[in-house]
Amino acid sequence: MDQTADTDAPDDALLVAFANGDGAAGQILVNRLAPRLFGYAARVLGDHAEAEDVVQDTMMRLWKMAPDWRQGEAQVSTWAYRVAVNLCTDRLRRRKTRGHVDLESVAEPEADMQSVVERMTENDRADALQAALDTLPERQRQAVVLRHLEELSNPEIASIMDIGVEAVESLTARGKRALKAALSTRREELGYGHG
Amino acid sequence: MDDKRDEDDAVLTTLFEAGKSQTPAPSAAFLARLAAEAETAAPNPVSDRATVPTSGAFERFKGWFALSGLSSAAAIGVWIGFIAPDLITAVSPLTDDVTALSAFLPGYDLSALSE
Repeated sequence: MDQTADTDAPDDALLVAFANGDGAAGQILVNRLAPRLFGYAARVLGDHAEAEDVVQDTMMRLWKMAPDWRQGEAQVSTWAYRVAVNLCTDRLRRRKTRGHVDLESVAEPEADMQSVVERMTENDRADALQAALDTLPERQRQAVVLRHLEELSNPEIASIMDIGVEAVESLTARGKRALKAALSTRREELGYGHG
Repeated sequence: MDDKRDEDDAVLTTLFEAGKSQTPAPSAAFLARLAAEAETAAPNPVSDRATVPTSGAFERFKGWFALSGLSSAAAIGVWIGFIAPDLITAVSPLTDDVTALSAFLPGYDLSALSE
């Protein structure tokens, strides 16, 4: 197999190289896309094993689609995110119950909200955020993760979620409000104290 | 009220920052599996598709080209002989049928055929 892939090449050039038989180009795409897709899927699904399934399925679909890829028409990463978002949506809808909220692992000091958060470890904060994310409706959760954790732009998210930019803004705003509400109702459990 | 909202915003920002710093990461084994799958899923290289069959193909088909040329020439000859036999006679060094036969049967009394 040829090992001619240029590690600095753009995603779409690598995909075309892959379609022409360059397996090394595919490996570079794996290293670029898989961690991002996994991060997104793990946050939205709250389950690493399921996130792996989503990423694997997304990459396989990318390989199948590679021979038909038209350079310049779309971004490979946007296409991959869109597939991953849809796969996550399918999985979330198959779940009959909402994701569990696991806030018990977070420390329980009683003090003001900010100081407690400041004293929490990074892991505890991330866990608290994940637990709050799990309580959001799926579309809000996806939009919030893409915007505030994956740090994609609103137009990119609009393209990925196949909605308008205004709808993205609405989803993220409502998502943030819901997150605050979820965190607020669990202030005691989080150890935010009496607010 | 505004203070509480600001406080919640600050907490959320802090949690988002923590979330970004604690991004769930795929295992090295999983990435290796994906890379192996990419290698397997890659179509055969274009260079292989172009060179391997063509080098042998030309050699293989050369004989067929020659055979088809010979067959075509024979078919055209039969066709001309069928629709324009005079044309054959005109270009033939043999002037008539008796003369032609005498070349192959020199000892035979061909004059009897002419009578």
